[in-house]
Amino acid sequence: MSKIVSVEGLHYAYPTIHPDEEKTWVLRGVDLEVEEREFLSIMGPTGVGKTTLCLALNGIVPQSVGGTIRGDVIVDGLNTKRTPVPDLAQRVGVIFQEPETQLFNMSVESEIAFGLESLGTPAEEIEERVEWALAAVGMSEFRHRSPFHLSGGQKQRTAIAAILAMRPKILVLDEPTASLDPIGKTEVFSVVRELRRQHGMTIIMVEFESERIAEFSDRVVVLRDGQVALEGTPVEIFKQVPLMHEIGLAVPQVSELADCLNQQHATDYVFTQLDEAYDTLTGPQGIAAKGSQQ
Amino acid sequence: MTGKTCLETRDLWFSYEDGPSALNGISINIEDNEFVAIIGQNGCGKTTMVKHFNGLLRPTKGQVLLYGEDIVGQPMGTLARTVGYVFQNPDHQIFNATTRAEIAFGPTNLGLSEAEVRERTDDALERFGLMPHADRQPAMLGFGLRRKVSIAAVYAMQTPVLILDEPTTGLDYKSTLELMELITDLHWQGRTIILITHDMRIVAEYAPRCLLICDGKILAHDDTRSVFKQRELLQSTHIEVPQISELGRRMVPHGMQNGILTVPEFCDAYSGLKTKS
Amino acid sequence: MPIVVDLYTKRESWVHRADPRVKLIFVGASLVLLLVFKNLFIMLGALALMHLLHWSARMPVQKFWFIWKTLLPVGIMMTTLWVIFYPTGTPLLEIWIVKITALSIAQGLVLGLRIMSMAFAVFAWLYTTDQPSLVRSFVKLKMPFEWGLVLALALRYIPTFQGMYGIISDAQQARGLDYSETKGFKRARAMMPIFVAMVISSLRASDQLAKALESRAFGVRGVRRTTLRDIHFRPVDYAYTAILLGVIVVSLYLNIALDFGKHAIRLL
Repeated sequence: MSKIVSVEGLHYAYPTIHPDEEKTWVLRGVDLEVEEREFLSIMGPTGVGKTTLCLALNGIVPQSVGGTIRGDVIVDGLNTKRTPVPDLAQRVGVIFQEPETQLFNMSVESEIAFGLESLGTPAEEIEERVEWALAAVGMSEFRHRSPFHLSGGQKQRTAIAAILAMRPKILVLDEPTASLDPIGKTEVFSVVRELRRQHGMTIIMVEFESERIAEFSDRVVVLRDGQVALEGTPVEIFKQVPLMHEIGLAVPQVSELADCLNQQHATDYVFTQLDEAYDTLTGPQGIAAKGSQQ
Repeated sequence: MTGKTCLETRDLWFSYEDGPSALNGISINIEDNEFVAIIGQNGCGKTTMVKHFNGLLRPTKGQVLLYGEDIVGQPMGTLARTVGYVFQNPDHQIFNATTRAEIAFGPTNLGLSEAEVRERTDDALERFGLMPHADRQPAMLGFGLRRKVSIAAVYAMQTPVLILDEPTTGLDYKSTLELMELITDLHWQGRTIILITHDMRIVAEYAPRCLLICDGKILAHDDTRSVFKQRELLQSTHIEVPQISELGRRMVPHGMQNGILTVPEFCDAYSGLKTKS
Repeated sequence: MPIVVDLYTKRESWVHRADPRVKLIFVGASLVLLLVFKNLFIMLGALALMHLLHWSARMPVQKFWFIWKTLLPVGIMMTTLWVIFYPTGTPLLEIWIVKITALSIAQGLVLGLRIMSMAFAVFAWLYTTDQPSLVRSFVKLKMPFEWGLVLALALRYIPTFQGMYGIISDAQQARGLDYSETKGFKRARAMMPIFVAMVISSLRASDQLAKALESRAFGVRGVRRTTLRDIHFRPVDYAYTAILLGVIVVSLYLNIALDFGKHAIRLL
């Protein structure tokens, strides 16, 4: 698989209001590579620059926001500093946290069609893609609903469909479930799971829900102080429980459990998912072990 | 908990203007110094019910009593002395030029003397670690800090009852813990805490009691462990217990005790099991 | 959730199916004709026709009621002011210095009815045209797409901002903000916490919206924008337009050349 995203030594500071105000560098040398069809999750404490990084992937940072940038972000062979944002938007679709401001049309259908209309897609093709995108997120019956009559989960799914319709190679989701209730979260994660399985897209997801991250991700990147602090598979990352807590991040409870048990019983359990933990703890290594002592 | 009743609703019904019934006959009793988490899907009536406690909404039918007195007779200004409400989105509250002014807003509205306002503001700034930002514009602070400012601003009103609507949404693990420790402290100080949240983990770890609302009706109001044991009930309302509770439940046939809430609990219980086998 | 600005009422009717541009022409024609004619009976006839139009567009009673409720106070006020300040002809009644004449009553009523009919014409257009078609019709009439987008966004976000106002108002009241006592300017000052928080929230929302638009490839250079649901003039739309133009021409002829409908009570 080839690299589809390459972030090289990325430094970024937002523009200051007063000219002699000191710049605050939000990103301080981020190096990151993403392979095609990979599912990468990004974690980091509040305010560390996760959203900034997402915006750097489709050129909004720095082109629309201004500020000072050093280093490069290459996406599908294009440099995000030089390629116009609308062109990048066709390759990188970004879904934001807040449903209210990313659904700006009066119906689900016109929302999904908007991007394609901007790109000058012929009407028949728009029709095809709208149908496809609706089906991909399970919103086909909601085609003519207005955004006021959708639940949080439905809104976010519509936002995903609106981006999907443009057929980007890369999907970036910035805390897509932060403002949703449990049902909404489940809906969105199901869609993400399906996109992964059926459509083989490259997905970059910023999230706090460590248990979901463990379920979906090929790799996890942890940001701290504007840089990549940890990188690896979910197993590699989540077994470092004290470090993750120090950085300020949660790990799946079963990973915490593994850490706890390892300390108490000198075992070396590694759990990132519930079934794993159940199988191990009820199996020969766990309580079913013969004659175990502690 | 002191045994005294703090908030009581008697057959409370509420409908929004030309809307369906949002609350369908709620009768509950929240005791003084209770710490209760209110859970349930969006649209089920959590916020609607809680808005009756500080007079933002008045019942369509039924009664709401605060420390024994009907809220209907009392204007919002009076109720605000007793019931503090922190809204979900800090940006719906923040409007001042400095953090200090923002926090002082509430106490000033209560008609306190300048000296008293200053004292309370300083106390809140200290408590929430906001002193370094006291003279900065709160709207320009990062999200986590803005969240703290909005909570500190209501804290400074020193109300015996504190309602927090999803205070940990969007916060990372460390900030969440910090905040929950603070809320626990406030509980120990004697306040009544009402916490609306979707995060079952913090309910399990911090809230001694739990109230489940669905379709405008109360389905459960009990200590958290008992509520979490009611699997079918929670499933019917699409509430998922924390991962560790689910693991504990699955291992009950293997001897695990029922109603595990936290990782340390599981760990201890498991160690007990292991030594037996 | 109260949606005050979603005027579009979806129904199956010839009015709904008509091209939005035809409806816009209708509004223009109504304006011209209602201004040109000054006769009470013509106005009553016009108002009756407007009701007939709404009925044939299958509008529910609440929609009629909404227009009456909104415009009636204005209509009554205009009629009353006219009667008081512009008496003409022989007085029927004299109250203090106010002379009330039959003619001025008729003229006043013409004014009031005119407002009502105008409102019905405009609402006939807005009730039967959905927002995308509305914007599309303006764009086809050579308005730049960006203006249409601004209009569309405004319509879309009004309920959102109404909701935001409600929440912010609640949040500030929960902190003891009490503005129920004061009136007028003092009240506006007391509501500052709400206004400022609204402005800040709106700015944040605009920023997010801008990013969302950009992420949807808005602003692509050198590409002609397409539309999923375009609007096209059907033969029957041409017929409607011809009829409307015909009515205008005939009415203007009758009015200007033959003095028809210029007097409030007499038709000729």
